Amino acid sequence: MSVILNLRRLPEFTYLAPKTLSEASNLLQKYQGKAKLLAGGTDLLVRMKERWVVPEYVISLNKIGDLDYIRHDEKEGLRLGALATHQTVANSSLIKEKYRLLAEACGKIAHPQVRNRGTVGGNLCNACPSADTAPPLLALEAQLKLVSSNGEKLVPLSEFMSGPFTTILKEGEILTEIQVPDLPPRAAGKYLWLSKITEIDETLVGAAVLMTVSSDGICQQVRIGLGSVDQTPIRAAKAEALLQGHKVSPKLINEAARQAAGETKPRSRPEYRREMTEVLVRRSLTQVVKELD
Amino acid sequence: MKQVITLKVNGQDHEVEIKTHRTLLEVLRETLGLMGTHEGCNRGDCGACTVLVDGDAVNSCLMLAVEAEGKDILTIEGMGKEARLHPLQQAFIDYSAFQCGYCTPGILLSAKAMLDKNPHPTVEEIKEGISGHLCRCTGYTRIVRAIQSVAEKGR
Amino acid sequence: MGDYAVVGKRVPRIDAVPKVTGKATYAGDLVLPGMLHGKLLRSPYAHAEIVHIDTRRAEKLPGVRAVITGKDFPGRNIGFMKKYSDRPPLALGKVRYVGEAVAAVAAEDEDTAEQALELISVEYKELPAVLTAEEAMREGAILVNEGKSRNIAAETKFLFGDVEKAFQESDYVREETFRTQRISIGFIEPHAVLASVDASGKVTFQGSKQSPYITMRHLAYGLDIPLNKIRMINPYIGGAFSGKHDAHDLDFAAVMLSQKTGRPVRIVVSQSEIIGSYRQRHSKEMWLKLGVKKDGTLVAADCRVIAEGGAYLGVGPLNIYLIGVFLNLPYRLPNIRYEAYRVYTNKPICGAVRGQSIVVCRYGFESLLDMVAGDIGVDRVDIRLKNAIRNGDRTANGMQVDTSGLTECIERVAEKVGWEESRKKKTPYRGIGFACGSLPSGSRLGGHFGALASVNILEDGTAVLHHGGTELGQGIDTIMAQMVAEVLGLRAEDVQVGIEDSDMVTLDPGMFADRATFWTGNAVKAAAEDARRQLAEVAAEALQVPVEELEFRDRQVCVRNNPEKSLAFLSVLRGAMYGLGMPIIGRGTWAARDIELPDFSTGIGNFAHGYEFIAQAVEVEVDPETGRVKVLRAVLSDDAGQPINPMLLDGQQEGGFVFTKGQALYEECIFDERGQQVNYSFMDYKMPGVMEAPEFENIHVITNDPYGPFGAKGAGEASGIPALGAIANAVHDATGVRIKELPITPEKILEGLRVQKGGK
Repeated sequence: MSVILNLRRLPEFTYLAPKTLSEASNLLQKYQGKAKLLAGGTDLLVRMKERWVVPEYVISLNKIGDLDYIRHDEKEGLRLGALATHQTVANSSLIKEKYRLLAEACGKIAHPQVRNRGTVGGNLCNACPSADTAPPLLALEAQLKLVSSNGEKLVPLSEFMSGPFTTILKEGEILTEIQVPDLPPRAAGKYLWLSKITEIDETLVGAAVLMTVSSDGICQQVRIGLGSVDQTPIRAAKAEALLQGHKVSPKLINEAARQAAGETKPRSRPEYRREMTEVLVRRSLTQVVKELD
Repeated sequence: MKQVITLKVNGQDHEVEIKTHRTLLEVLRETLGLMGTHEGCNRGDCGACTVLVDGDAVNSCLMLAVEAEGKDILTIEGMGKEARLHPLQQAFIDYSAFQCGYCTPGILLSAKAMLDKNPHPTVEEIKEGISGHLCRCTGYTRIVRAIQSVAEKGR
Repeated sequence: MGDYAVVGKRVPRIDAVPKVTGKATYAGDLVLPGMLHGKLLRSPYAHAEIVHIDTRRAEKLPGVRAVITGKDFPGRNIGFMKKYSDRPPLALGKVRYVGEAVAAVAAEDEDTAEQALELISVEYKELPAVLTAEEAMREGAILVNEGKSRNIAAETKFLFGDVEKAFQESDYVREETFRTQRISIGFIEPHAVLASVDASGKVTFQGSKQSPYITMRHLAYGLDIPLNKIRMINPYIGGAFSGKHDAHDLDFAAVMLSQKTGRPVRIVVSQSEIIGSYRQRHSKEMWLKLGVKKDGTLVAADCRVIAEGGAYLGVGPLNIYLIGVFLNLPYRLPNIRYEAYRVYTNKPICGAVRGQSIVVCRYGFESLLDMVAGDIGVDRVDIRLKNAIRNGDRTANGMQVDTSGLTECIERVAEKVGWEESRKKKTPYRGIGFACGSLPSGSRLGGHFGALASVNILEDGTAVLHHGGTELGQGIDTIMAQMVAEVLGLRAEDVQVGIEDSDMVTLDPGMFADRATFWTGNAVKAAAEDARRQLAEVAAEALQVPVEELEFRDRQVCVRNNPEKSLAFLSVLRGAMYGLGMPIIGRGTWAARDIELPDFSTGIGNFAHGYEFIAQAVEVEVDPETGRVKVLRAVLSDDAGQPINPMLLDGQQEGGFVFTKGQALYEECIFDERGQQVNYSFMDYKMPGVMEAPEFENIHVITNDPYGPFGAKGAGEASGIPALGAIANAVHDATGVRIKELPITPEKILEGLRVQKGGK
C-alpha cells in the first residue's frame, strides 16, 4: 500500500563494480531480475529510497572507464558515451555549436547537482515520459548501441522506450553509446520547454525542433520531438509532414504547431499540455526559421 | 555488505569500513562526524547535503559512498575556518544571506563550485548555479547579491 | 527616533560564523553515548479503527530495544488549551488521518529501526473518511472525533457596530467568495529530537522546537511528569514558521522510548513525512461583503469563513479568531460582522503557518477592495490611503493603535513602484498590485505570558545573556545582543547569547505573532538596565556624581555633559567584582499586563500592543500564451517601529514575501480520494526557488512605539501578510483576470483570458 515514505535509508543490496563491459553484462545476465545498473544514481537511488525498486544487486558502471566520451567527426557524426553527464554535454562547445538543442535540453535537466551526476544514458534508460534528453535526440534521429554478451546492436531511439519507465532492453543488455548522425548544412535546432510548476521542476512539455531550410525558404527537412505529452517521448510526424517540402511561413508554422498538439496524448493536465505543445512548437520553429534566415 | 574504502575528504584520507548501501551523506555525517553537511529532503530536491566531488557540486544523499573513493571531496568543514573564512562565507555574513543556516553550507559549496569554474558570472548564471537549493527563510535575493559581491571583487 | 550606538545598525548576526562554517549544531546532529535510533510507524488510512497491534515480531528483531504504541501513554489528550485537547501522543483506538503515528520503535541503528517497522502488524478496520469541509458539515456526517457531537470543532460569531444599517447607508456594496488551499510549511530542517532520561527520571529534551515552552507543557501533561523533571535545551533550529510549536508524535515517542530503555533516543523524521503528514495551513472558504461610500470610505464588512483543518483541533479557535479580528486592521472599518467555523476532517492537522490566518484574511479583503475600487472608479492607492488606520485610532473591536506608519508605507511603495507613471503608459500584460496588512507584536494568551531575561557581566567586560525566546533563524539572538550592548554601552560582539535552557531561565510562552522583539526584547532591556543600575551605583560612588548623571557608551561610564569625567566600563566592573566582591547579574521581566486576553467568542478587546503595519507593491508580467506569472519586483515596506537591525529586517521582509508567494502561485497539498497527500516530496510539492525570487526594494517607516523596547515593534511574521493580495491584484492589473481561488495557476489565467475574449 502506498503510504507516505517514513524511511530514510537505502534498502540493503550487494554492490558490484565490474571493470569491463562484458563483466557487467555477465553479472546482469547472472542476476536477472534481481539487479539494477547504476550510472549517476540520481534517479535509481531515489526510486530505491522510495522502495519502488528494491534490487538485490546494484551493478555500477562507474568503474568501467571511458563510457563518458563525447566524440565527433563528419563521417560518423556525434558519439556520446552513455555515462556522459548532462553537465558535460551542456558545457561541450562542440555540442553547443553543432547540436544546440541537445545542449539546451541537458542544461535544463533538474539543477547542477543532478546534472553533474546524472547521465544521458541513464536519462534514456529510465524512460520517464518527461526525460529531457529524449525530444532532441528523437529530432536528431539518434541510435542507441546496446551491448550484451551476445554482441552489440543498434536501435533507433524512437523504438527504445516501450512505455512509461519501460524500455526494450533485454536482460544483460547495456546501453553504451548514443549515436547521432552528422547534420546537413543549414540545419538549426531548438529545445524549448515549460516546467510543471516552478522553474526547477519536471518538464511539463518539451519541444525539440531540428530543421533544414533551403536558401529560398523551403523546408527541406524537419523533425519535431516532444516530451511529456504521451506515454513516451514522441515525434510529431504529421506536423513534420505539413512542413516538409513547403515554403515556411508564419501561417504554416501555426498550422504545424496546432497539428503537433493534436498528436499528443497527455494524461494529466491534458488541455494545458496540448495548448502548450502548440505554443512551444510554434515558438521553437519560429526561432529556428529566424536563425536560418 | 561491508567494504573498506579510503575517502579523501577536505584533503585528508580516511580509511573507513562501511556498508556499501551507505550514501556519501550518511558516511560523512555518521562515520566521519562531519555534521555541517545537512540532510533536508534526502532525495536530491533541496540541496542541503551538497558537497563538492572533484570540484563539482553533488547531492551527497544521491551518491553511494563507495563511489566516492578516489575522488576529492570537499565539505563545508574544508571550505574555510573560523579564523580564515572563505570570501563567500564572509560575503554571506556581510549581506546577511542566511537566517536559520540549515541550507547555507550547501549553497556556499555550490557557489564555490560555480565561481571556481566561472569567476565572473552574470546574475542569471549565479541563480542557475544555486538553483538546486531550497531556502525557506531568506527569499534568495541576498544570497545572489552576496555571491555577486565576491564575483565582482575578483574582477 | 533615538540616537543609538548599536540599536538601529546593520550589525552582522552573532550566529554567523557557526552557520557559515557548518559548525552550528541542529537537533539531528546531536549524538550521545549509547544513543538509540527511533522511527515511527504511520497509518495508511485516513480513518480506521485500530483493532489490534502486534509488536512481538518487531521486539524480537536483534537490535530492537523497545516498541511502543499509544497504549503506553497515560491516556491524556494534548491541545493548545485544556478544553480543546483532543490529540493523543500516538494514535489510540483509532487513526484519523494518513500518516498519524500508531507505534514507535527504538533500535541500535537506524536500519534496524526501519526493518522493525515492517514487523509491526496493525490490524485496521477501515472507516469511511471525511475529506472536505462540505462533507464534514453535512447533516449526519461521519464523525472524525466520535466523542464530539459534530465535526464543527470550533465556531465564532463577532459583531461590531451596526452592520445592517451601515450596508443600507453604503453607496456601493459588493460580495465575493475566495478560496485558499492547504499548504505545507516547508522548513528545510526535518523535525528531529534527542531525548534522554537520567537515573532520577529527569528528561533532557533537545529538539528542533520553535516554542520549547509549549512542547514542555505538552510533554509534562501527556507523560504525566512534573515540569522540573523536564529540561528543554534548544540547539540551532533550521526554520520553523509555526510548524514546530507543539509536542509532536516524535517528541512524545522519543521521551517514552528513552524512559523505557534508559538510553538516549534520537528521532529524525523524513521530509516526506513532514510535507505529507505534519502541520499545514487550513484550507479556507471566505465569503466577504464590503460596503463603501462613493469616495471609497469603508463602511461595513460582513464575512463568513469555513476553515477545514484536519483530524485534531490544533490552534483552530485562534486561527478563526484572527481572521475576524484582522478585518479591523489595517483600515478603519466601523461596522463588522463575522462568523466562522473550524471543521474536522480526516486529513493532517492544520495549525498556524507564518502569518497565521491573517494572510488569508488579507487575500480576500485586499482583492475585494481592489474590485470595489475598480467598480466605483477610485484609485487603488487612494482607497488604501483614505482608509488607512492612523495614530491613536481605536478599532471597532477595541484594539488601540498607538502608532501607525501605514499611510507613509502606502505612499512610499506607490512612489517607488512607479504607480502614477504606470497609469500613463501601460505595458501590455504587465501589472502592479498593492496590498496592506497588520499583525500584533505578540499577544497575550491564557496561562503564563511574561518574558524573563538575565544578563551576566563577566570580569573581562563581556556579557552573557540568557533569554526565554528562541532563535529560529529570525535573528532574535542578534537583536537581543544589540539591545544589551546599547544599554550597557558595549559593542554587539561583547555580548554572547547563552544556549536556551529551561533550567536557566523561564522560557517565553512561545515564539508566535511577532512576539520576540517586543516582549522578550523588553525583558532583555530590563535585565541589561538592572545590570547597568548595579554598575552605575559603583561608578557614581567612584566619580562622586548622582547615578542619574551617568551614561554608558563606548565601553565607558561617563558623566553626562562632562565627557572628561569618565571611567572605563572594565574598571567600574572590576571595582564592583574585585573591590566589593559584587558579581553583576541583571534580571528583567516584562509583560503587557494592561492588555486583554483574546476573547475567542466575541473578538472584542485590545489583545496586543505594537500593531505593525505593512504595505507591499508588486509588479508582475504574465505570458498570455502560457499563463505563467513572473513577479518582477516587490517593494516591501513596514512600520516595525524603530528597527533594531534593519539588515535583518530586510531579510524578514524578503523571506516573508517569497514564502507567501509560494502559496499565491505554486504550492498546494493535493490529496487523493483516500485522503493521502500525493505530493509529499519537494519534487512534487513546489516551493519557490532562486529562479522565483524577484528583485526587492525595502522600505522601513520608522515610528516610535510607546511600549516597544527602543520604540520597536515586531516584524518577521507580518512580512508575508499582504503578499497573496498584492500578487493577485497585480495579476488582475496585468490581465484583467481576477483569481479568487489559490493558487493562481497558468490554467486559471488562460481560462480567465478566454472568458474575457469570449465576452468581447
